[in-house]
Amino acid sequence: MITILDIFLNFLKIGLFAFGGAYAVVPLIEEQMVTNTGWMNFTEFTDLLAIDELTPGPIIINSSTYIGMKLGGVPGALAATLGCIIPGAIVSLLLIHLYTKYKEIPVVTEIVRTLKCMSVALILSVLLKMFMNTLFPESISLQGMDILSAAMMVACFYVIRKYKTNPLYVMLVCGTINLIVCLISK
Amino acid sequence: MLKKALLLFANTFSISLTANSGYAMLGVIKNRFVDKYGWFTKEEMEDYIALAQSCPGPIACSSSMIIGYRAAGFLGAFFSVLGVLIPPFVMMVIVTYFYTFISTNTYVRYFIDGMQAGVCAMLTDVVLGLFDGVVRMKGVFYYVMVILSFLFVRFTKYSIFYLAIICIVVGIVKSLLVKRKADEQK
Repeated sequence: MITILDIFLNFLKIGLFAFGGAYAVVPLIEEQMVTNTGWMNFTEFTDLLAIDELTPGPIIINSSTYIGMKLGGVPGALAATLGCIIPGAIVSLLLIHLYTKYKEIPVVTEIVRTLKCMSVALILSVLLKMFMNTLFPESISLQGMDILSAAMMVACFYVIRKYKTNPLYVMLVCGTINLIVCLISK
Repeated sequence: MLKKALLLFANTFSISLTANSGYAMLGVIKNRFVDKYGWFTKEEMEDYIALAQSCPGPIACSSSMIIGYRAAGFLGAFFSVLGVLIPPFVMMVIVTYFYTFISTNTYVRYFIDGMQAGVCAMLTDVVLGLFDGVVRMKGVFYYVMVILSFLFVRFTKYSIFYLAIICIVVGIVKSLLVKRKADEQK
């Protein structure tokens, strides 16, 4: 019998070690849910990943809510989501509080600067993965390249950069175009 | 204060409802709070993103809490994280009932695949902005830090937690060295 407290504590653990965004955290969730606790099997887990991509919202929150819901209904979902965000909430408030108070001190400025370098590297690495998945959905070759996605990417980049358009609209337009083109061509 | 907090809530709620990952949210957050409302400068926003990435847990939560705190204190942090959490939570609770419909629906698939092109374009814009920040810091040291961090993320299996710690230590050491040099010159 899995109690709500079990769910909360397990997700607290995930939340505490979840550094580096969804791509780094998904394997952590897998380890905790499939290998360590056996609460899910591998198929259920891959299903979850598909659902994550198809629904709005941050991937880590989606996963915790979904798993919590499966294990213990709405209370389980609440426990999982809260557990997963509490460590980050405490750390981020602490960091921003310290930053606000001490940002004039040279050491703090320097730390933020080196963290900025890390930040560029992290997002760049996520971006590369997304690029490959979007442009070459099946295989990495010239034939396998998704030309529509490539064209949309260039057009979107131009629009966002030049007109500072709300990226939400840009994303929704891309989704709609792709839907229409796929419906016509397939 | 409360008005600002509620505005934060309305914004993070609508962003979370539409963006399909934490990284996709970053660009929209920047667009709203820097370009549209002018609450923060571009440089401040870069600092916040770097801090948010140094926190455990979903980047969507840490970044929204940091922005909320800077805009309207603890109340702001609370309301903006609440806005991020509610949409995916409600969505995932509902999704567990319609699981098969969503995961096998090709229209949803086409739409989301298309959106991905927009997300890539937007993230490229975010990365360029962040990189611009690194260029403005003026120093070969920072370029080296970006490259080393990138290699760490791509080619090692260690948690980003260690990378953040390394960056913090490097930042402290560098500022001490700079200070010593300045003292010697006096």
